[in-house]
Amino acid sequence: MDLYAAIRGRRSVRRFSSTPIDQAILERIVGAATWAPSGGNAQTWRFVIVTEPTRIAKLKTVSPGLLGDPGAVVAVCQDLADARAKGSTLGEVLLAPCDAAMAAQNLLLAAYAEGLGTCPVASFTHRAVARLLKLPETVEPVLLVSVGVPDETPEAPARKTEGIVHWEVYGG
Amino acid sequence: MDSTALEAKVFDLIGYIASSARNLLDETPAYGPFRLVDAASRLVAILKEAGVQSPRLTALRQEIDRGKYSVTVGPDEFKAFLDALVDTFVDYLDPDESPRM
Repeated sequence: MDLYAAIRGRRSVRRFSSTPIDQAILERIVGAATWAPSGGNAQTWRFVIVTEPTRIAKLKTVSPGLLGDPGAVVAVCQDLADARAKGSTLGEVLLAPCDAAMAAQNLLLAAYAEGLGTCPVASFTHRAVARLLKLPETVEPVLLVSVGVPDETPEAPARKTEGIVHWEVYGG
Repeated sequence: MDSTALEAKVFDLIGYIASSARNLLDETPAYGPFRLVDAASRLVAILKEAGVQSPRLTALRQEIDRGKYSVTVGPDEFKAFLDALVDTFVDYLDPDESPRM
């Protein structure tokens, strides 16, 4: 698949069919996430792949942004102790969420290339998700990504262009 | 739906509302009204599964689900959706009262 076609074709999907997702596909798309860049090559991200319907249902209960009935949810997490050890304050505060976001984008595009729909979600209760996924104390969930066979093709929202891109200097 | 299943659905809805309440302290303000109308839609869905339904509840839920994601389009679009939803509600509440222009 052409990369630009994937970038422009990907949508945030919030309605899924009940078709289960092959474990091999989930392994591939999470593998793609680990090929994202990370500050200082820290690779302090952690991924929890959830496929059990009852566990997904529990996650949904504490995650208002997690909509529809996805076949899987990938929790993109960061080990903040590891991030601090490798990158000091910058690593913990800035690089960790940036790295998680870059990994998540890889995951979204890889899933799209596999014919799957996804939606990255930040609207969830961190302490509840951490408990339900049995995350160690230093591991913080950054994003939940719902993954499933899409049952909708949302329209692409218009892209803002005015004042977004500047050449050489801001305002240039 | 038996009472155990109904209790489980309501339990989930309370979880959605409670976790929304917590998250909304940190989230974009427009997500507050979004979660409110989405919770209303979820309530209607639960009632339907429990055998309680009516044309007006169905219509309101359909209108909510059709327009709720306008929250991601822009404030004007979301406000227009909510205004129209309230107008629909008043139409059912008082069919003789025309919407304000």
